Amino acid sequence: MSNVYIIGSGYHPFGRFDKSYQQIGSEAAAAALSDAGVEWRDIQAAYMARMYLPATSGARILRCLGATDISVIDIEAACASGGAALLQGMLTIQAGAADLVLVAGTEKMPRGFMDPSMIYSPWQVELGMSMNPAYWSMRAMRHMHEYGTTHEQIAMVAYKNHLNSVHNPMAMYRKEFSMEQILNSQLVCDPIRLLEICAPNDGAAAVVLASERKVRELGAQAIKIAGIAHSISRYSSDFRCPAESMSATMDNVGPTGVTAERAYAVAGFGAEDIDCFEVQDTDAFCEIEIYEELGLCPVGEGGRLVEDGHTRIGGSHPVNMSGGLISKGEPVGASHLGQIVELVAQLRGTCGPRQVEGAKTALGHVLGAGGNCAITILQK
Amino acid sequence: MSTAMKRIAIKEGLFAGSLDDLHDVHLGGSKCGACGEVGLGKVEACPNCGSDDLSQVALGDNGSLYTYTIVRHRPPGNYQGPAEFKPFGLGLVEIDGVIQVMAPLLPEIDSLRIGMPLRFHPYVLRTDENGAEVIAFAYGAAGE
Repeated sequence: MSNVYIIGSGYHPFGRFDKSYQQIGSEAAAAALSDAGVEWRDIQAAYMARMYLPATSGARILRCLGATDISVIDIEAACASGGAALLQGMLTIQAGAADLVLVAGTEKMPRGFMDPSMIYSPWQVELGMSMNPAYWSMRAMRHMHEYGTTHEQIAMVAYKNHLNSVHNPMAMYRKEFSMEQILNSQLVCDPIRLLEICAPNDGAAAVVLASERKVRELGAQAIKIAGIAHSISRYSSDFRCPAESMSATMDNVGPTGVTAERAYAVAGFGAEDIDCFEVQDTDAFCEIEIYEELGLCPVGEGGRLVEDGHTRIGGSHPVNMSGGLISKGEPVGASHLGQIVELVAQLRGTCGPRQVEGAKTALGHVLGAGGNCAITILQK
Repeated sequence: MSTAMKRIAIKEGLFAGSLDDLHDVHLGGSKCGACGEVGLGKVEACPNCGSDDLSQVALGDNGSLYTYTIVRHRPPGNYQGPAEFKPFGLGLVEIDGVIQVMAPLLPEIDSLRIGMPLRFHPYVLRTDENGAEVIAFAYGAAGE
């Protein structure tokens, strides 16, 4: 397969704005085009990741840049929408159908718990089984029971990510919280607390992809896409929402493990050779489980990994240098591309106080409803 | 025993036994003839292998708590719990060593423990627009 590169990235901050989704999305796309040094009319195909926006959002957003006649396709794969869109963009170039592709993600979401009817059956909603954090919390509770993971270790993930966010202009919350503040914040679903979960919000992020030929022609500063994989969870591997039942005898590898294995195989290298990570911290516990499934540590030792400081900036495996979704919020369609914007900046060495020194490889990971998981690996 | 009131399951095919007598109601499952896995309720295809070689089974009424959480805020959407919200347990209940089922939990929230024995509890949730009683389920502490 031919190599595909990211030659530009841009974003609209994540937060809550009195602006239309068209404005939010088109500002991010324009920023990515400007960063790449190309014009909108040069783009030959575009993909728009979104979950909560109406049909043909991609066309409505990108029309703000001028109504060209290219293919614009909306992509939805729950929290992994951005990864699915990036995969399609890469495949379009690898198929030889285009040399320059825009991949963007845009979202504008209501406050509070997500609309349950999008994910759960009506009977589950009636019985109160329709709150996403409940499912994350049940995983946390079991992990604590089996491996001795502690409330403090879970809070340390939130502490680290909030601390990292202070220097990130993309983040909705750019504030440091003490361990005491986190551990005393309101319980949402035991053991997960308010300062340990992310909030749905508005935001957009975009990248410009180019073929090797186009990179040479433009003389662009390019980051290589080393691998992308997207999957949904195998039977009985995951009791993230909207699970109704599981097998009591089968213990299949979870979606993060499956997707990581595929992405590592495409990249030709694995976790030990990756310098920095942005992962789905919809709740603080989730990040601990992801450490294990990505192979940053053995199963059961994720709590100790954060406690020992390995996942801080400056640690052996820095995770969520941007502040993660806990600080940025999760505009679902935009979240993975937001991670990619951060990772591109890390590989360019332009992250200032949150820079991972000498980062040459990077991994972005998203995971959500239906066990939708996407992983993108980048290489300088 | 039968009642004059018509009864329906909150989800078609979720239960085994006659809804007329709640003592005769159990969770239903679909056992796959190809891979042996059991899906919750009546399903069209095995959730593991996709086979349609399925037979309907009644699941046992006893279970144990595999994991749980406490829902501290009123769930969004059409939640039919008490008008004045009360925090409740939600858990994954292991039944017959073959299946784990997501279910609301009746025991006091402070008494919930992983591994605790539980018992199936069908109940009338509400009356629908046609006057039929809608049967739902939860798990209570064993022995209650």
